[in-house]
Amino acid sequence: MLLAGGQGSRLNSLTKDLAKPAVPFGGKYRIIDFPLSNCTNSGIYTVGVLTQYQPLILNSYIGIGSAWDLDRKDGGVTVLPPYTASTEMKWYTGTASAIYQNLNYLHQYNPDYVLILSGDHIYKMNYELMLEHHIKKGADVTISVIPVPWEEANRFGILNTDEELRVTEFDEKPKNPKSNLASMGIYIFKWKMLEEYLEQDNLNSSSSHDFGKDILPQMLKDNKNLFAYPFKGYWKDVGTVQSLWEANMDLLEDTNELNLFDQNWRIYSVNPNQPPQFISQEAKLTDSLVNEGCVIKGDVSRTVVFQGVTIETDAVVKESVIMPDAVIGKGCLIEKAIVSSGINIPDGSVIRPKIDGEILLVSEETLEEMVTN
Amino acid sequence: MKKRLLGVIDATTYVDNLKDLTPHRSVAAIPFGGRYRLIDFILSNMVNSGIQSVAIFPKYEYRSLMDHLGSGKNWDLNRKRDGLFFFPSPRLDKPVFGIDSFEHFAANIDFLNRSTQDYCLIASANTIFNMDFYPVLEWHMDQGCDITEVRNAGESLNIFLVKTSLLLELIHTRNETGYLNMRDVVKDINSPYRLCYYPYEGYALTVDSIDQYYLASMELLNPMVWKQLFLKDRPILTKVKDEPPTQYSKNAVVHNSMIANGAIIEGTVENCIIARGVKIAKGAVVKNSIIMQKTQIGENCILDHVILDKDVKVESGVSIEGTKEVPRILQKGSIAKGECVNT
Repeated sequence: MLLAGGQGSRLNSLTKDLAKPAVPFGGKYRIIDFPLSNCTNSGIYTVGVLTQYQPLILNSYIGIGSAWDLDRKDGGVTVLPPYTASTEMKWYTGTASAIYQNLNYLHQYNPDYVLILSGDHIYKMNYELMLEHHIKKGADVTISVIPVPWEEANRFGILNTDEELRVTEFDEKPKNPKSNLASMGIYIFKWKMLEEYLEQDNLNSSSSHDFGKDILPQMLKDNKNLFAYPFKGYWKDVGTVQSLWEANMDLLEDTNELNLFDQNWRIYSVNPNQPPQFISQEAKLTDSLVNEGCVIKGDVSRTVVFQGVTIETDAVVKESVIMPDAVIGKGCLIEKAIVSSGINIPDGSVIRPKIDGEILLVSEETLEEMVTN
Repeated sequence: MKKRLLGVIDATTYVDNLKDLTPHRSVAAIPFGGRYRLIDFILSNMVNSGIQSVAIFPKYEYRSLMDHLGSGKNWDLNRKRDGLFFFPSPRLDKPVFGIDSFEHFAANIDFLNRSTQDYCLIASANTIFNMDFYPVLEWHMDQGCDITEVRNAGESLNIFLVKTSLLLELIHTRNETGYLNMRDVVKDINSPYRLCYYPYEGYALTVDSIDQYYLASMELLNPMVWKQLFLKDRPILTKVKDEPPTQYSKNAVVHNSMIANGAIIEGTVENCIIARGVKIAKGAVVKNSIIMQKTQIGENCILDHVILDKDVKVESGVSIEGTKEVPRILQKGSIAKGECVNT
């Protein structure tokens, strides 16, 4: 069950008409490609995608799931939007309420285990190994965790565990963290247990219907078997303009852990079918990722360029992310910016941060005020 | 209106001059332009012209062609009604040179009998162009032609438009008339049919030799040419691969080249066509060359005027040089070792 209803409000204009899981990433992908590809690569072929906020592009992107090999006779991908029932209109008010309202979907398959994912993170993970861990530990629920730097632990939902990885305590954004294991929002439940707790939570009018805040603490209180599953590898929440930019830049490191070129764990996406990229005689192109359909005539370094982008002659683009079909005019200078899809930057524009460390988000609305030529 | 045209692609052609590129594939399946195969151009043109039923008649070495086309999904031809049809030759003993053998069609006559389209567009699979066939049909009907041949600069593109009923008649009477293919019919000045020539003004190049293949590839680097071939509203479709974007390293130097996805470029590339998944290691210098899918070029190699087929491995430090007139070709899967492999 992939929770893809997130608004991602800290991504500002990027998510104005777009759910966060549909935000473009890595020159070719959308964020949701990562959990969906992880499912396919882990041998999970029945995936419900719960959508709510601005679902148009996300829905058409997912389609019948063929891009991830999830167009199946049995199972496959099913988009699960909120719906009106005979008595009321039910919006998804929290992560648990979203799953609760789709219990019928789960009943159809009556699985042994349910994996709950979020569509907001960039990572490669074999969920099969997590399930093995879950079974081996005899857990009722397993929560995937990743060590975060101690100084940042107060920004996360922290799990305190014993030596056996049994969860002893939840600390939501603790001031004085006792552990640096942060929840990744990835859970495996025993299906019957999940059903029971969702039914129970639904009747609780004081609950916020959230897994992290309500369901899991309640289970802990009831002495259920909660275990942590420590994940090793690259994991990034790209919830802000800054972190989205950082995650894109991470791909340009020689030693990047995500390795999009790994043939054994491919990240699938809807392929745009555009011609190869054309690099002109006068172009200078180093330390970058460039997708199909681009025409590069300028000087491009440390930049991630999505499909269909044109970078004109004498333009200099550094440490930036250029989203699909944008046009960078002649003689522009672009530095440390994310340029939104389809933006046409006029010739000679200079766009670079005035404050050190700032990352600019160039959109239709902000274009004029950002140009300083 | 659009449903009135049936597409027939004659992929039986064997071209002796292309044999270095066709030991394991048909001419129609020769890789081109970094991510395409030759057949993509005619097939995409047909689909973009509104043709919804396409029959492909292959003869030799069609495994890679079948793998490429699959169900026709990438061309939106995986349909319940019409779609993509594949008719391999039932016999391989009689070599078929030239295009559109009536004999081959006769073996699959049921398909033509069952087709509901009134008109048939017959084309070979080795022309690089982006053309709308809809005006050809209009022209054909306006002029009251029996057979329309599409020509470019006075030369035939081996594309013919006929009424399906006339095609059936030509196939049925092939033993009496002696016509073996459409070519024979249009060449016969005494034929009873009204023959028209439709002049196509855009870019077109038929690949029938290594020279032409190399020329067509290098012409792709001319913006005047690629702008005519790769149109947003009339895309050349191909089998898509889940390759990541291409990665250029800190020391990459790239000029005047067309590069497909999934490549890793660490060296110098000039005037090249680089296909999907190619790796060019640091210090390597590759010029005026065509590098096909998944070929790996080692460190400090020097390559000039070469055509490297798929899965070639050039070990570090190797130099290979051809000439513009005679580009050096390494066949699929070969390994280049040693200090110098000059022609």
